[in-house]
Amino acid sequence: MAEIQAADITLTIDGLAVIVPSGTTVFDAARMHGIPIPTLCHQQNENPVGVCRVCVVDVGQRVYAAACIRPCEPDMKVQTGTDGVINTRRTLVELLMSDHPSPCAREQHSGDCELERLAADAGVTSPRFPKRATPRGKDDSSLAIAVDHEACILCDRCIRGCDDIRSNWVLARRGKGYQAGIAFDTNLPMGSSSCVSCGECMVSCPTGALTNKRIVGTELGTGDVVNPEELLDLPIFHNVSGTFLELNQKAIVKRYYKAGEIICREGDFGSTAFYILEGKVEVYLSSPIAHVKTQDSGGGFFKRLSSLLTPRGDDQRAEESTRAFIPIDASVDLPYGNPVADLVPGDLFGEMTCMNYYPRSATVRAQTDCVMLEMLRNVLDILQRNKTFRAQLERNYRARALDSHLRSVPIFAPLTKDFIDHLRDRVELIRYQPGQSICRQGDPADSFYLIRIGFVKISEQRPGGEMILAYLGRGGFFGEIGLLSGGTRTASCTALDHVEVVRITGQDFQLMLDRFPDVRRSLEGVAGERVEENRKHVQQVGEVPVDTFLAQGLMEAQSLLVLDLEKCTRCDQCVRACADAHQGVSRLVREGLRFDKYLVATSCRQCRDPLCMVGCPVGSIRRRNTLEVIIEDWCIGCGLCANNCPYGNINLHPFPVELDDPQNPGRRIAGTRQKATSCDLCHDHEEPSCVYACPHDAAHRVNPPEFFGGLLKRQEAGNRG
Amino acid sequence: MVALVVATAIYVPYSLRVPAPSGGSAIGLIYGSVGFCFMIFAGLLGLRKKFPVWRIGRAQTWMRAHLWLGLVSYPLILLHGAFHFGGPLTRVMMWIFTVVFASGIVGAAIQHCMPRIHTAQLPMETIYEQIDHVRDQLAMETGRLVESACASLDGELSRASMGQLAAAASAGTDWDVTVADGLGFNEQASRQLRDFFLSETLPYLEKVGSRGMPLADPMRAKAMFQQLRILLPAPLHSTVGDLETICEEKRQLDRQRRFHLVLHGWLLVHIPLSYAVLLLGAVHAVLALKY
Repeated sequence: MAEIQAADITLTIDGLAVIVPSGTTVFDAARMHGIPIPTLCHQQNENPVGVCRVCVVDVGQRVYAAACIRPCEPDMKVQTGTDGVINTRRTLVELLMSDHPSPCAREQHSGDCELERLAADAGVTSPRFPKRATPRGKDDSSLAIAVDHEACILCDRCIRGCDDIRSNWVLARRGKGYQAGIAFDTNLPMGSSSCVSCGECMVSCPTGALTNKRIVGTELGTGDVVNPEELLDLPIFHNVSGTFLELNQKAIVKRYYKAGEIICREGDFGSTAFYILEGKVEVYLSSPIAHVKTQDSGGGFFKRLSSLLTPRGDDQRAEESTRAFIPIDASVDLPYGNPVADLVPGDLFGEMTCMNYYPRSATVRAQTDCVMLEMLRNVLDILQRNKTFRAQLERNYRARALDSHLRSVPIFAPLTKDFIDHLRDRVELIRYQPGQSICRQGDPADSFYLIRIGFVKISEQRPGGEMILAYLGRGGFFGEIGLLSGGTRTASCTALDHVEVVRITGQDFQLMLDRFPDVRRSLEGVAGERVEENRKHVQQVGEVPVDTFLAQGLMEAQSLLVLDLEKCTRCDQCVRACADAHQGVSRLVREGLRFDKYLVATSCRQCRDPLCMVGCPVGSIRRRNTLEVIIEDWCIGCGLCANNCPYGNINLHPFPVELDDPQNPGRRIAGTRQKATSCDLCHDHEEPSCVYACPHDAAHRVNPPEFFGGLLKRQEAGNRG
Repeated sequence: MVALVVATAIYVPYSLRVPAPSGGSAIGLIYGSVGFCFMIFAGLLGLRKKFPVWRIGRAQTWMRAHLWLGLVSYPLILLHGAFHFGGPLTRVMMWIFTVVFASGIVGAAIQHCMPRIHTAQLPMETIYEQIDHVRDQLAMETGRLVESACASLDGELSRASMGQLAAAASAGTDWDVTVADGLGFNEQASRQLRDFFLSETLPYLEKVGSRGMPLADPMRAKAMFQQLRILLPAPLHSTVGDLETICEEKRQLDRQRRFHLVLHGWLLVHIPLSYAVLLLGAVHAVLALKY
C-alpha cells in the first residue's frame, strides 16, 4: 500500500519555530525539539487520553489545552512555561497530591513516583486542600502485584497497558466521582480475577498504586540467578512478561544437583517450588510406615520411656487395607506398599509448600545429575496463570497423574483403564484462590470434584449461621450428593487455601455410574453416610440450648473425656491407665476447662471441625467413617497438626531411627524422628482405658450434645423459673 | 450385707448352743477363712491399680468389691473370734485390723464428700504435681506485672522536661495538682508498689504453705489490697486487682495441697496396716492350723 505523505505544519513553541508532520500533538512536537512538558497520564507507547491535564500549555486561546491530545495547527503559538501555565499545573499537582499517600509505596521502594517528583519540582509540600474523607482501600490478593487504590490518580495508564498493549482486557474503570477507581474484571480482587500477572499495568503506573510485590525475607540465596532472556527461551515462560521477570530476578534461581543429593526433606518447612529442567529425581517417604508406640526401656524406680514403631502387620487398623496411595505435593501419588516415585523433566513439585507454606510432604533425591529451577510463590503464581505453562501442567497431569489420583480414592478402584482414558481428555483442572467459592448451597449440581492441591471447606448455611461439615484435602472428593440426587448442591464448598481441583462433568459422572455399578454403590453409601451425619449434627444442634455450650467449643466435639469433679478423688488412675495403655506416655492431661461440675480433660475431642487435618502434607491425619480422627502410619512428623489443634491434644513423640551421616556419606548414625500421636480411644478395646480404670465412676467418654443436653435444658429451665 | 445377715443368723444359734464358741471350731474356721478371703480380695485392689489396663473387670467394680467385702470382713473376723481378741498375736492383729477398718470407713467417707468441697472451693485447681511449678510461675508473673506498672510510671518521669523537673523542685501550684506534684506522686507510687511486692507478695508466693502470713488470710489480704488501692493512683488499680487475683490463686493452691493431704493422707495409714494385717493373718492361720 502506498504511504500518504502528510503535509508539514509550522508552529512556534516558546518562541522557537518548529516544523512537524500534520497530526502531531503539541506534546510530541515539543518533545521532538527538546522542550520538556510534564505529564502524568501520558506515555509514549500508549494512546493519549488527556485526563490528568498536567501537560497544559497556552495555545493563545480562551483556555489552556492539554498538550498530549492537542494536535498542532499551522502558525500556532505555544507557550509552555508562562506563570499562568505553571500556576495551573501547580494547582493540578496540588489537587492530586491532596489525595495521595505521600510517600507512596513506589516512592518508598525506588523513589520514582512521578507525581511526587512533579510535586517536589513544583514546590508542593503540603497541599492546601483537604484529604478525601472516605478511604479507597488496598487489594493484597495478588501474589505478584500490590494494589493501593489510595495512590491511584485515575490516569488510565494501567488500563491502556492491559487492554491496548497486552489485549488482556482485565482492567477497566469503575464508579463515578469519589467512587471512581480501577477494577479487575467485574470489580473482583486482583488475585481472583482473570489477570495473568503480565506486569504491564505495574510498569505503566506512574505512582505507587500498582507495585511489584517481593516475598519478604525469602531470598533464594545461593544458586545461579537466571536472566529474563534465558527464562523467556524456556517454553514454560512463553508469554510471561519480561518486565516482571526483570523485576523478580532473585525470586527464581537455577540449581544443580549431583546424583544422590537430597533436594528437599519431608517435614521441612519451605517456601519454594521446583521445576525439573534436566535429570530424574526420586520422591519417597523416609519416615518408616508404622504406628508409634512407647514403652519402658529399663527397670528401676525411675523408668526411662522410649518410643518404638509398630509395623502395620502388628497393629492393623480398620479401613487401612483399602488405602492404595499416599497423597504428596507433586504430580504423582506414592503407592502405599512401596512409597517411591520418579519425576522427570517438565515436572513441578512443592506447589503446596510454595503457595500455602505447608511442610514438605516427601523427600526428593536426585537420581541422576539434575538441573532445577527453584522459585518463590510470586513466580509460581505467574506461571500458573500462564496459558503455556498451564497447558503443559495439565498435559502432564492427564498423562501421568490422573490414573493414580483416581485410584488413590478407594471408591474408584473398580474403574477400568479404558474409562480413565476416556476421562483423560475430558477432565478439567481448575484453580481457586483462598476463600474463593467453588460451589454454593442451592446451586444446580453439574460437576463432581476431586481435590488435587489444597484444602476445601464444606459447610452448610443454617439459620444460626454457617456450620462446618468437613475439611477435605488432596484425594478428597465432593459434589456427589447433588449429582446422585439429581438436584442442587446441599452444601457450600470453599477453598481454604490455594486449591486446585479436577472437575468431572455431570455427564461423565453419570456415565461412570452407569458403567460401574460398584462405584455407584460405594458413592451412594458415602453420600448416605454424609447426609445422615449432617442430619444428626443438625438435629443435635437444634436440641441443645447452645449459647454457653458453643462458647466453650464443646459442640464441635464428638467425643469428650469428662471427669465428674464431684466424684473424682484426683487419684490420677485415668492418666496412669492411659500411659500404661500407650506403653508409658499418657495422651491425656487431667486439666482443662470446666463445664458445671465436669472437667473436660485435655484429650482428643474428635472434633466435627477438625482443624488438625487442615494442611497435613501427606494426608495422614484423617477421619474414619465413624468420624473418629486418626493418625495414619505414614505421618512424617512435621508437627502441623499439633500446631493446628486449638486444644493442644496432639503430641509429637520421638523415636529412634538410623539416619544418613551427613559427615560421612554412606554411613548410618543413630538419630530420632517424630510422629504425631493423639487419643485413639483405645480402639483395640471396647472402652478407653482411662474410663475403664477409674475406680470412682468419674471418667466418661461422652457425646457432648447427648451428655450435656439434659443438663443444659435443666439449667435453662432453672434460669427461666 | 446378705452375707453378714446370713453369718449372724448362723452365729446366734451356734453361740447359744456352744458354751464357749471359738475360732478353732468348724463354724469358727469357716468364718475365719471367709473373712480372710474377703480381706485378701480387698487387698488385691492395690494390685489391680498397679495394672490399670488389664481387662479383668472395671476398676469401679473392684472398688465396690473392696468396700463391701472389706466392710463385711471385719464382723466376720469378729464372729470368727467370738468377739474376743485372743492371744498376743491375734490381739495385735485385731487392733491393727480395727484401725484399718476404721481408716477405711473414714477414707471412704472423705473420698465421698471431699471432691464436692474440692470442686466448690478450688475453681483454680491445677494438677497436684504441678503446684510448685504454678507457684513459681505466679511469682514470676507478679514480678513482671509490678515491673511493667512501675516502668510506665518511670517512663512518665523520664519524659518530663527539664522545666518540669525544675518545677518539681520548686513545687509551684497550678490547678489542684501541679506537674511537680504529679511527678512526685508517680515516684512515690512506684516505690510503694515495689515495696509491697518485695515485702508482702513475693515472700508469700515463694513460700510453700505460708500459714500465718498476712496474705494467707483472705480477710487480711482484702484489707491490705484495699489500703494499697487508696495509696496508689487509679491507673495502677488494675495491677493491684491482678495481684489480688494471683494471691487468691496462691491461697487456692495452698488449700489444694491441704485438701490433697486429707483426700489421700489416710491411705498412709490404711495401706501399710492392711498389708500388716494380711501378713499377720497369714501367720496366725499357719500357726493356728499347725498347732
